[in-house]
Amino acid sequence: MKYVPHALLALSAVLFPYCVQRVFLATPIESQMGTAQKIFYFHVPLAWICMLFAVVCGIAAGVQLRRRSDRAEALALAAGEMTVLAGLGVLITGPIWGDATWGTPWTGDARQTSTALLWLVFVAYLLVRTYGPANAERLAAALAIFGAINVPIIYYAVKIWKTTHPQTGVVGSLPQDMWNTLWVCLLALLSLAIALVWIRAGQARLAIALDRAWIDAEPEPAPA
Amino acid sequence: MRLWRQTWLLARNDLRQEARQLELVMTAGFFTLVMVVLFAVAFFSLDDDAQAKAVPGMLWLGVAFVGALTLTRVFGREREANTFNALLAAPVDRLAIYLSKLVVTVLVLALCSALMVPGLGSVFPAAGIFDADPVALVSLVLLGCIGYAAVGTLFAAGLASAAGKNVLLSVILYPLTTPVLLFALVATQRLLEGHAELWSVLAQMLALDVALVGVGAWLFESVLVGAGPRANPARSPRVSS
Repeated sequence: MKYVPHALLALSAVLFPYCVQRVFLATPIESQMGTAQKIFYFHVPLAWICMLFAVVCGIAAGVQLRRRSDRAEALALAAGEMTVLAGLGVLITGPIWGDATWGTPWTGDARQTSTALLWLVFVAYLLVRTYGPANAERLAAALAIFGAINVPIIYYAVKIWKTTHPQTGVVGSLPQDMWNTLWVCLLALLSLAIALVWIRAGQARLAIALDRAWIDAEPEPAPA
Repeated sequence: MRLWRQTWLLARNDLRQEARQLELVMTAGFFTLVMVVLFAVAFFSLDDDAQAKAVPGMLWLGVAFVGALTLTRVFGREREANTFNALLAAPVDRLAIYLSKLVVTVLVLALCSALMVPGLGSVFPAAGIFDADPVALVSLVLLGCIGYAAVGTLFAAGLASAAGKNVLLSVILYPLTTPVLLFALVATQRLLEGHAELWSVLAQMLALDVALVGVGAWLFESVLVGAGPRANPARSPRVSS
């Protein structure tokens, strides 16, 4: 188990050049959107990774609250950071793609708004973890749980508020070639993300253990 | 039955304190008026069409701002008098603490909305707030306030033991209350447009409120246990590495 993150990092190091080669040289150019559609192979995997780790963070936070598990707390923290990182990637690549194909970087449709709000919730999670008071880890856990619950609600709310998704059918109608490239990119990015979360969670666990050892080593205050 | 009685006793205690000083009502009410004036100044030149589109946003932004102020004060008072730990140590169900604070917050928010809605209605007459169905308007405002307060009470309580961390409440509150505010926004737009689907949106808001109060009540104790200083019980002592 010790070398799992290393293996995943090696896998993604091998896959990344192959991805670039596949995306730009081997996969045909999409007929309607042209070369701008190439960003799709990074945008969509990043969005999936962002959602995946948001859910992981919410579940880990729930376990942390119920069982007071340090392991779950460390995983929630690492997953929260990965959500913010991947979300940032989604929020940068999305408007670039949108600008090239829809003519405007931000249309405010359901998917965009819910991703942006999800990202904000997890930035708030990290802020509370970093700058919060003594009970910050429990507070942050509740925040992550609410955040994970909120995502579908926000999506639905924006959908009934503003139903103008210009390209809903993009992913469904892809030729097999493009699907295959997408899977390769997803595998590369996902193995990188899992490796990073794994390493970060281990580091967070050590930090928690160190804190605890520090508190245990402190002499009891003398009774007044 | 016991839970409701405890909730009522705790809420009555807060309300009585409020009735003696009127601190929350006066400050939050005045803040509401200031906001209406600021909206009036900032959006003075909106034409008639734009007014109907902008007023729902102003209403719920106003509720969000007043709500943050109210929640800070509701728990700030406990902190200043150092009674929050006493409240946690008291032989009452923790759920009753949550529900009583929720009731107080919703009452203050409803009072502020009772100022804000007519205020916005008279400053932006073309939005047609006064022509809207009053029953729907009142239930909409109440449902929005309950949902907002359900999330807010949980996190304000979590921050109550820490002085000087109020800025974090705004950081948490606004992203997390977006769903209920968005629903309220949709419902207000439909109300002003006289849309036929208004009541179905209100029913969805009711369901959302029930879910938010449920999750808030479920998490309240976990978030608060050990809220006092140096109380961090029963965690596994060491991480095996």
